[in-house]
Amino acid sequence: MSQISLSLRRRSAGVDRRFFAGETTAAAALFLILAAVPPIIAGYPTYILPQYMLFGVLAMSLSLLWGFAGIVSFGQAAFFSVGAYAMGLMMHQDYGFNPAYAGILIAIPAATLLAAVTGYFLFSAGARATYFVLVTLALSISAEQVAVSQSGITGGWNGLFVDRMELTFGPLGAVSLTDDARMFYFVLVIVICVYLLMRRLTTGKFGKVLVGIRENENRLTALGYDVAFYKTLAFALSGGVAGLAGALYATHANFVSPSLGGVLFSTQAVVWVAIGGRGSLLGALAGGIVVSSLTNYLSAVIPDYWQLALGFIFIVVIVFFKRGLAGLLESAFEALRHWRTAR
Amino acid sequence: MSALLRTEGLTKHFRGLVANDGIDFSLRSGEVRSIIGPNGAGKTTFLSMISGHLPPTSGRIWYRDREITSFSVVRRARIGIGRKFQTPTLFESLSAYENVELAVLRTESPPAKREARVNAALGTVRLAEGRDTPAQFLAHGQRQWLEIALLLASNAELLLLDEPTAGMTVEETAATAELINRLARERNLSIIIIEHDINFIRDLAARVTVLHLGRVLTEGPFEEVAADQRVREVYLGS
Amino acid sequence: MHTIISVAIDATLITMVLALAAFGLAIIYGLVGVVNMGHGAMLTLGAYLTWAAASAGAPFFLAVLLAGAGVGIVGLLLEHLVIRHFYKSPFDTLLLTWAFFLVTTEIIKIVFGTDFRNVASPFPGAIDIGTFKLPAYRTFVSILSGLIIAATAVVFFRTSIGIKIRALIQNPEVSSLLGLNIAATYKLVFGFGAFMAGLAGGLIAPMLSIDPYIGNIFLVRSFFVVIVGGIGQLLSGTVVGSFVIGGSETIFALFTSQVVAQAAVFLVAIVLLRFRPEGVFRDQ
Repeated sequence: MSQISLSLRRRSAGVDRRFFAGETTAAAALFLILAAVPPIIAGYPTYILPQYMLFGVLAMSLSLLWGFAGIVSFGQAAFFSVGAYAMGLMMHQDYGFNPAYAGILIAIPAATLLAAVTGYFLFSAGARATYFVLVTLALSISAEQVAVSQSGITGGWNGLFVDRMELTFGPLGAVSLTDDARMFYFVLVIVICVYLLMRRLTTGKFGKVLVGIRENENRLTALGYDVAFYKTLAFALSGGVAGLAGALYATHANFVSPSLGGVLFSTQAVVWVAIGGRGSLLGALAGGIVVSSLTNYLSAVIPDYWQLALGFIFIVVIVFFKRGLAGLLESAFEALRHWRTAR
Repeated sequence: MSALLRTEGLTKHFRGLVANDGIDFSLRSGEVRSIIGPNGAGKTTFLSMISGHLPPTSGRIWYRDREITSFSVVRRARIGIGRKFQTPTLFESLSAYENVELAVLRTESPPAKREARVNAALGTVRLAEGRDTPAQFLAHGQRQWLEIALLLASNAELLLLDEPTAGMTVEETAATAELINRLARERNLSIIIIEHDINFIRDLAARVTVLHLGRVLTEGPFEEVAADQRVREVYLGS
Repeated sequence: MHTIISVAIDATLITMVLALAAFGLAIIYGLVGVVNMGHGAMLTLGAYLTWAAASAGAPFFLAVLLAGAGVGIVGLLLEHLVIRHFYKSPFDTLLLTWAFFLVTTEIIKIVFGTDFRNVASPFPGAIDIGTFKLPAYRTFVSILSGLIIAATAVVFFRTSIGIKIRALIQNPEVSSLLGLNIAATYKLVFGFGAFMAGLAGGLIAPMLSIDPYIGNIFLVRSFFVVIVGGIGQLLSGTVVGSFVIGGSETIFALFTSQVVAQAAVFLVAIVLLRFRPEGVFRDQ
């Protein structure tokens, strides 16, 4: 046993992990299970799961920043709500072409731009990570308050009602997504694409540099890297991904309210990622889906006690299980591997 | 004969303390130079001003005949100035391989070429066996070598080494001296070393610059400097 | 002219209340370097404990003191059980104090419910000074806030215990050699900061309708107050930081809604800090 823990300790925390193949299998398993939901458990789960999947995407956007670059953001919800309101507003317009496409085409750049500008402004001055958390908090608070105060545009606390989008393929016709199963698969496909894209990014040079930033920013600077640039890029990307998630959420849930951008939602994302595993995209995705589903289910039954329990779980994770559930599973597999080869 | 690195009147004040006082310094391409001096002489401060980590209060610096006084750390690193810090500064939870890979990644993309360069650098510092070990679990001497490997892999041409043999055994120290001499000879690298270990400095067969109270006390071949009365006083006196 | 003085008075009252709310954070963040994301929860807890004590019959000021003590004890528990293991990692303390906020808020919801609570103001109404009407209680709290901060500063800068604390914080290694107990000092400071936050929450309670999230409106502003004023500058920093944040909020609120004013103030603070990262007062 001591041999196993020694080699567990001596495993690198870098990006090229031996569990690459393992993560692919786990991802495939997760997506297959999700794909099986509509035919097998039609009804409420088919309706609600896309929202949790989109929360999972929001969680992934945070893990890019937190797990890889080591930068915590308490403001991802701000970008989510920018995307949501962009979609909501576009869906109320009539320009002649598919308003949902317009919504997505505006949501992503808008959220990305907000993140890029904020990031550049802070990182180019070498803002410390703890100060950055504060600014992202302020961002979330402001996002919520702007949504409330500009009630002429956003509907304030009354919110914005949004139709289900349709997929239009020009002359080839259109597919309405009012049907829950169709919407489910559409969201699932997007989630898979985003996951694959982010995985590609994080296993290449970009991901390695972000890990370098997390491990020793000064060393990286002294090797000639423009650290501020990479941080800004990571933040901008995370904003864009969160914005996309928000845009799709708006047209799925049919309703956008200011609390989508607020601090409470931002920090829920932090809790999901902490529990799921901040260093693993799949862990964050799964963490987002699972914890938010559990929260929804248990909120109907024991709302306050569940949130309390979640708070304690969060503490336990931060103190003892920094790498979250994904890390636990990895350690378990590693132990299993060694036990097998040692026999 | 133009110098690779030249400083003129390099001075650094810290709130009333004069750490470096008008240092004129020059280094030729392919030269190894040791900088010695008692604690507080201003050696690390001097190195920090060359690497760009500290802006000088006054004075100028040229690298390859280009004035770099106002260049940032990043810019200096990109033109070939690499620094090994007094405390080994590594990517602690990453393996030796991944550490060096980061040094290569900025300038080399194709994975095959990258791998070759990383392995070459690790081989040069005799760390090929420890390539998968996280930096934090390497022995102290190996960590120093790893940091040197980072500089080699990043194509640094001027290496600034701050106490590379601190914490090393006698054998490791001798090996390090041999490594540095080889790097200067075979690759024409220019190396400035801050050191305290007299045997190591002797093995280096390089000129020595002695700093005292922020100024250059004397400079010359090791034997001359070692015999210099003023140098003895500075080390043994106060 | 009348309007200007009126605005100035408003700004001062808001500033001093904000200074009181931020003071606990100035102590914890400024002195022991813990990014206390639970500061808002401490204020909230102080408000609720005050309500509970007042409802049980205690006179207002006693209730406030009890609330402060209660939050101080909670703070000590938090420090002892969790925080003291993580002083070296500001990130972890940030997340852990946030977890404290989550847990505390839920406990408050369970124990007190989510309905709005109200604490009666001990000095209702307004005072007339010349042509100006000052809200009586708010004015009282403002003055009290100044006294509390000044008194703490006196203890901190003039008394031997204050000097020991300062020495220890500036130089932990040397101080331990001199026989000063680091762990105990950190505990004392953390507990005191929590006590201050609880006290502030109690004193501010009569001005607002209390709900489980009430303290959080002061959380981010308190951080900006402390950072703009200069981390570690207990007296001058807290007051000046509060003037900058509170004052600009008052001025902005004259032209736009309260909500936009707050966002504008954040923007101003962020831009200010970007170009003067040390805050208004440089590290001495």
